[in-house]
Amino acid sequence: MEKEEIISSGLLESYVMGLCSHEEAVQVEWWAKAYPEVKEELDAIGSAMEAYAMAEALPVQSDVKSKIFDAFAKESAQVEATPVVTMPIENNSKNTADTTTVVRPILSKWKIMAAASVALLIGSAVFNYVTYNKLQETTAKLTETEQTLLAKNEALAEMDRNVEVVQDKNSVPVSLAGLPAAPTAAAKIFWMKNTGDVYIDASNLPAAPQGMEYQLWGIVDGKPVNAGMITTASGSTFKVEKMKSFGTAKIDAFAVTLETKGGKPQPEGEMYVLGKM
Amino acid sequence: MNNKLTYTEPELVSLIAQRDQAAFSYFYDNYATAINGIIGKLVTDVTLREDILQEAFVKIWNNFHQYDTSKGRLFTWVANLARNLTIDTLRSKGYKKQQKISSDENSVISQEDKRQSVEQHDSIGLRKTVNTLKPDQRIIIDLAYFNGYTQDEIAKEMGIPLGTVKTRMRSAILQLRQKMETEN
Repeated sequence: MEKEEIISSGLLESYVMGLCSHEEAVQVEWWAKAYPEVKEELDAIGSAMEAYAMAEALPVQSDVKSKIFDAFAKESAQVEATPVVTMPIENNSKNTADTTTVVRPILSKWKIMAAASVALLIGSAVFNYVTYNKLQETTAKLTETEQTLLAKNEALAEMDRNVEVVQDKNSVPVSLAGLPAAPTAAAKIFWMKNTGDVYIDASNLPAAPQGMEYQLWGIVDGKPVNAGMITTASGSTFKVEKMKSFGTAKIDAFAVTLETKGGKPQPEGEMYVLGKM
Repeated sequence: MNNKLTYTEPELVSLIAQRDQAAFSYFYDNYATAINGIIGKLVTDVTLREDILQEAFVKIWNNFHQYDTSKGRLFTWVANLARNLTIDTLRSKGYKKQQKISSDENSVISQEDKRQSVEQHDSIGLRKTVNTLKPDQRIIIDLAYFNGYTQDEIAKEMGIPLGTVKTRMRSAILQLRQKMETEN
């Protein structure tokens, strides 16, 4: 477009009144840079519109001015009140009265930046603290879960071993029935005929009194042979506890007696259950 | 203006950019009534009008870095800012362009009333100049400058071709300029 066309296009008026599109504004600004006549025209339109607005001026009735400047004063008072890096910079502004106007915005900026830094630092510290606490909490929970899982795995492995013992093709079950001392008591032996290993499920024996323990005996050639102390707690779920192995010895029967803690070489206490092979 | 000019526009702009409150105070003294007049074209309620005026000046101060001297005169930027703020404020209060148009067409008459109240202001000469414009020229300028209508919107609202809007607007502004030149 020729500059005369540009000037008479009506677009410059639109631009001065801030009513053209962004693309048009970019175009006008480019023309203004390229053609001094366009720039002059824009200024002339601007002056005319300024005069037009002046002609329509309305007196201000309330004290708008002091409200505006009060707001500024409050704003700068807030900035002044920020207790950060005030002294060193203010000392620099001692030179002349003229510099104060120049120094003030820099001073305020510094203060605002310093205040912002402190705020950011505090914010960051709070965030870190909260995050750290959360992490601690999560770690504790995770450890707890891991322990539970380990215990469960252990129990499961134990259960597997128990089942293996019971299901082993060489496993010979022997039921031990309650005797007059404890008629409802019961226990079960799993004897491995190939190895002579002995396992007992003692979970159905009554609780042993304080300081006492159950001891298992194998009756070999009519004589009781120590098969070890039973550690399974009373009332626990099905559990197979490995006892002493009898090897190739021929066992006639199994019996459980209640003995003082640690057991005896020969049975002394009362017999609770007995089962013959 | 009652005040003798103590700052040139570049000085004023530079000082306000440096957050000089005295310069901004001078700026307020010289332009507040004109800005108030622009807001007053759309807002007759004094309290709302002067609330917007206050907000406009705070905005001018806070957003002064957005003013680019290469894009035009300071007043041009300020006037458009004030008008847009006014329109935004009214829109947020449910104002519709459509509802406003009928009263805008009478704005020439309503301005006559307002003029009585600003008689003490020394813009009488300017007003005389403005009064030499024909009503159909003034409506177009008022719709654009004070109500923020684009040339397209003015053409649609007034039912005249876009070209006519452009020529009338241009001739009106040229007329203002010529009058101003002969008076100075």
